[in-house]
Amino acid sequence: MQAVGTRPLKELVQWPAEGYTRVPLNVFTDPGIYQWEQDLIFRGRTWSFLGLEVEIPNPGDYITNRVGDTPVIVVRKADGSVNALVNRCIHKGSIICHQPKGTRERAHNFVCPYHNWIYDFDGNLKTIAFEKGIQDKGGMPADFDKSQHRLIRLRVETIKGLIFGTFADDTPPLREYLGPVMVEHLERTLYGKMKILGRYSQMMHNNWKLYIENSRDNYHPSLLHAFFSTFKLNRLSAEGGTRQDDKSWHHITFTKRYTDKGDAAYDSGMIRAQKEDYGLKDPSLIDQWMEYPDQITNAIQSIFPGFVLHQILNSLGTRQIITHGPKDCELVWTLLGFEEDTPEQTAVRIKQANLVGPAGLVSMEDGAIGGFVQKGIAGDLDGVAILEMGGRGVGGMPTRATETSVRGFWKVYRELMDV
Amino acid sequence: MSSAAPVVVPVTPQIEAPLPVRDAIARLNCAYGHIIDNDELERWPALFTADACYQILTRTDFDAGRPLGVWYCDNRAMLEDRVSSIREVNVYEPQIYRHVIGATEILGHEKDTWRTQTGYFVVRTMHDGEMMLFSAGRYLDDVIVENAGENMQARFRKRMVITDSSRYDTLLVIPL
Repeated sequence: MQAVGTRPLKELVQWPAEGYTRVPLNVFTDPGIYQWEQDLIFRGRTWSFLGLEVEIPNPGDYITNRVGDTPVIVVRKADGSVNALVNRCIHKGSIICHQPKGTRERAHNFVCPYHNWIYDFDGNLKTIAFEKGIQDKGGMPADFDKSQHRLIRLRVETIKGLIFGTFADDTPPLREYLGPVMVEHLERTLYGKMKILGRYSQMMHNNWKLYIENSRDNYHPSLLHAFFSTFKLNRLSAEGGTRQDDKSWHHITFTKRYTDKGDAAYDSGMIRAQKEDYGLKDPSLIDQWMEYPDQITNAIQSIFPGFVLHQILNSLGTRQIITHGPKDCELVWTLLGFEEDTPEQTAVRIKQANLVGPAGLVSMEDGAIGGFVQKGIAGDLDGVAILEMGGRGVGGMPTRATETSVRGFWKVYRELMDV
Repeated sequence: MSSAAPVVVPVTPQIEAPLPVRDAIARLNCAYGHIIDNDELERWPALFTADACYQILTRTDFDAGRPLGVWYCDNRAMLEDRVSSIREVNVYEPQIYRHVIGATEILGHEKDTWRTQTGYFVVRTMHDGEMMLFSAGRYLDDVIVENAGENMQARFRKRMVITDSSRYDTLLVIPL
């Protein structure tokens, strides 16, 4: 399944000799490159986030989602396992499930609304309406073999309630793909029984990769997002750094807000922000409890290609990038808590939702900054971006003044796209 | 029921509200839209009580009983912090809103507090002239209406902005 009719990638992308410290700007605008990415990245040897297990608790429960541009159905089977199928009838190509979520009784399975072709939860074509015709007239040819036609099925694996899928047979198993550093951080962040507190999405008028770069760029936050510094929430002595897996596919940036406060701040109770310390009229916005033994108060984890898990104080959430052509993308936010949370802890998570999302006091600029770049590079077909903050290499670093994980993204991108 | 009997169509129960109360609520909603649209955000928190709750959440989350939205303030000081942040901190392209606010339905009341709902839509105009239908939905409010001298005065004890769409364009910096 290659990008049929598209010019060869080598003609579309001429990567500068400097390597991944430079990015040719046409990768953010070219429709042909975008088509190749659908094949080689989203339907290639990568794992994409498909949804949360808590969304489909019972057999027959399904959700619909997208992997890049490709529509998928994610369904819970009778044996409790999860399947993912391309949501496209093999007859005419109509989507089969047009609801965002639902439950299918076993007898019905998935029925295409157009001509009632019916598939089971494994994607097998079970029946075709009027297969034998009506009153011996019409119908499918006698030699049409239903078993030769089926929905495309993804490989599925789950980790801590997160469902991932891949189209490629040769993608390494999920935990191997993530690497131990990423697995440990996912398991650490999602320690409880997951509960969805809210969901919304944000349309961004930029290429999807500009957002993913942003999620891996820990050089920008203190510069673009002035909320923390203006209201004196930044403590200069706060410890932080950047972590990656061995191959630089994925990224974690973290900070420890109370590094300078000694051990007294780390008991399990609420840490109340003091009004005199900050510029906020109501500093309860940033009251938090020390949720994690590692004393990390802020962590962004970005999994190649399009998944982000955030912990900002006690706000936890997943973000999934959905492509909308070369110049637009959508970020789907799901804010999380745990069933074990106390009412007071849930209230803290709700209040700290003010920090994230399209109205996030800290992060709203991320919805606009990619659009600023997209506008800025318009018309410049030969330009390049420069990525040399923190050196010219990849790998984890004990600092946030670095673009090492942005370079890591392009390293992997070039490997997958072979450019 | 015989075929000749008139058909009784159930209607929303009519809540008796004195005209001055209805008038005060209407004036509050009217001022709310104009204060935002005319970029007088410093006056916006005063439309709320000190212990007011202001929230923006999606219709899907509201219907599912999920508590969390893109915007959640549980007192007026948080609204004032929002205004400070809009003015001094957040980075966004210049943009203005135009609220079109529908008629208010009174759903019930307890003493001075009136539960109301009101439809709205907001057109957003960017500095370069680009316009879009930015948000449509309803306000679900608890409004306190009290005597203030010769007039009745209304303020929001709670305003829940329930957006029909769960998708927000670019960013949501100015209140809806």
